Amino acid sequence: MDEKMYAYKCTACGKLHHPKHYVCKKCGSRTFEAVPLEGEVTLLTYTKVYNLPEGYMKPYLYFGIVEFKNGLTVSGQLEVSDPIIGMKLISSVGVIKEGTNSDHYGFIFK
Amino acid sequence: MIVDKMEQSLRPVETPMAPYPPKVITMANGQKLVIRQIRRDEVPHILEAVKPLMTVEKDFYDVVASRIYSELLGYYRYRVKDEYCLIGTIDGVIAGLVNGRMVDDKVGMSYHTMTLIQGLRIGAQLFAAKMEYHLDILKQEEVWVVAESPNGFKRWMIEYELESRPEIWHELGGVPTYVLTKALWEKHKGDKLAGRRPVKEELLKTADNPILPETYSQIPGYKRCGK
Amino acid sequence: MREVGIVGIGHTKFGKMSGGSFTDMLCMAAVEALDDAGVKTVDGQHGIDQVFVATMGAGILNKQSGIASGLVDTLNLRPAMAETIENGPASGASAIKLGYMAIASGMCDAVLVVGGEMMRVVSGWEGTDFVATMLHPEAEYDYGITLPTLAGMFTRLCMEKYGITEKDLAIVSVKNHENALHNPVAHLHTVPDLYSITEDEDAGIINPYVASPLRLYSVCPVSDGAAAVLLCAMDKAEKFAKKPIKIAGIGQATDTHAVAEREIPTDLLAVRLAAQRAYEMAGLKPKDIDVAELHDAFQILEIVESEEVGFFNRGEGHIAARNGETRIGGKIPINTSGGLKAKGHPLGATGVSQVVEIVKQLRGEATGRQVEGAKAGLAVNFGGFGNNVVATILTKEEE
Repeated sequence: MDEKMYAYKCTACGKLHHPKHYVCKKCGSRTFEAVPLEGEVTLLTYTKVYNLPEGYMKPYLYFGIVEFKNGLTVSGQLEVSDPIIGMKLISSVGVIKEGTNSDHYGFIFK
Repeated sequence: MIVDKMEQSLRPVETPMAPYPPKVITMANGQKLVIRQIRRDEVPHILEAVKPLMTVEKDFYDVVASRIYSELLGYYRYRVKDEYCLIGTIDGVIAGLVNGRMVDDKVGMSYHTMTLIQGLRIGAQLFAAKMEYHLDILKQEEVWVVAESPNGFKRWMIEYELESRPEIWHELGGVPTYVLTKALWEKHKGDKLAGRRPVKEELLKTADNPILPETYSQIPGYKRCGK
Repeated sequence: MREVGIVGIGHTKFGKMSGGSFTDMLCMAAVEALDDAGVKTVDGQHGIDQVFVATMGAGILNKQSGIASGLVDTLNLRPAMAETIENGPASGASAIKLGYMAIASGMCDAVLVVGGEMMRVVSGWEGTDFVATMLHPEAEYDYGITLPTLAGMFTRLCMEKYGITEKDLAIVSVKNHENALHNPVAHLHTVPDLYSITEDEDAGIINPYVASPLRLYSVCPVSDGAAAVLLCAMDKAEKFAKKPIKIAGIGQATDTHAVAEREIPTDLLAVRLAAQRAYEMAGLKPKDIDVAELHDAFQILEIVESEEVGFFNRGEGHIAARNGETRIGGKIPINTSGGLKAKGHPLGATGVSQVVEIVKQLRGEATGRQVEGAKAGLAVNFGGFGNNVVATILTKEEE
């Protein structure tokens, strides 16, 4: 099954949002349409985290904040061996947390 | 004691083991942690440092201390084959200890890691020293490890990415075993293994007569009574 | 609006509470504040109209809700009004703000504010997870992102932009630990050695990364503890034992929830706005402040906050720290209490604890770490990862 991630576009003024907001940041309107959010991104910052929360059985994980071409800035996990600020990555969607009832899907930037 | 035929038959055959070369690690507060191997005849003294923790339930100190007590006693009384014990001292005071034994030239059996002085991550340094002993000094190929406490599990199983091998049973209660292979050790030792050698004469001397801690942060209100 | 002052302070030793319930811990701080103010905890005589308890975890970690209501009873302060206030790590300052509003509005004459957290009853894992619940659920929490993750990413950006080094963070940390040696209620009374944690060959191993580039000795410990203040109307202050310290200004501001959505990622906008509003209300400027407690859960925050509250220009806070300007005796002593780094950080207690330290400084009671002649102090309490910040300014009235 191919999971997708979405940006939320205000139907009144077109402003893109991610994550979802209840009210449009620009014009205050309340309806949005889901638009796939994917593609090439630029890495803005990253960190290698050793103290992971409950349930993550790895010694460390990389996380980062990236910028999509449409200007949206988003956080996600990284699958990169040597991250450098400014490098180009591709967004993908994968399991970011294993749950007891259902897995959570989110951005993994490679 | 008289080593007669009966005693001889009850003792394991000892394999010659390369001794652990002492080293010193500078702690975060600037203090020096000296890590060295103990001699068999030092065991009764070391046991006195372990004893007070045998009834502390928190963080499984009671299980770990009690097991270490019996392991060291077994070593002292020649009933455990090829066991060793390393201690860490700060200003001569015993800060922590680790022990284990050599199963054969390829496999090491890690027993325990116990920190007496908390707050300086001494356990992490002692565990790494123990792995160094098996893999770098004794030149074995892998070490079998189990953990009693969740802290231990996180520090070793997760941080060293130990290989899970549930089909082999560890000597400590036959619980499912995790293994530190040479490959995993080479991968992680850069981040985990600290220490300088050789240790300066005067510093090494401070560890000659290990001092028993007066107080234990794990036991509020405890004070060692002088003998 | 009526003027409001602080007439009583209380503070437990932060660290690991051995024995006693969560409420017991709050009571220890509360009675110290009441005794400090000379209040008799006798029905009909105590004069306390309202109790606010600041805590983030009482319900989650300690399985106790409605804790303020329970506290009022056990302290013999019935039938005072009571509420529990939650604003993440800024719960303490928020509770003081609400106490201020209750008195300034004329509705109350005396308000007791107690902040507390008992985090060491759960494992480190569970503690980190609990703290992470304040993050954005879909954009952050579900990814396994924790507060240190956000702090790590923020630190790296600031290092890139302003040239802050890991050593600068260590310098701030050592200063805070040194200050804490003179604070009997601080969690940690050991001082890391700067060389050992930065340049020694084994520094990388004994001071390992928690969330790069933040290392172990640049993040605060997990602590239990409680702190309390008694607020009163300035025009009713004579009946208390000590002269009041005035709450001259309070400011608060919110920012985006998901850190990735912040407009300028190296800015702490909510800190800047909260401080500006507090200065405006107090009629003061940054240069008028003699001592400050700035929320330093991660040492990078002390540096950036010192800039956003106007003590130093953007990008110069770390240089000021290097030059000793934020030490006791320097241009603007910051975190004389030891800060969150060495004093400890029981989430709900911190905001109140910061104000307790400022009160001690302004009263001249900060033995061993006193800032000479301090007349005005600033406390900044940082909620979430900077999405809700409360700034409080206290002043000593002229004789």
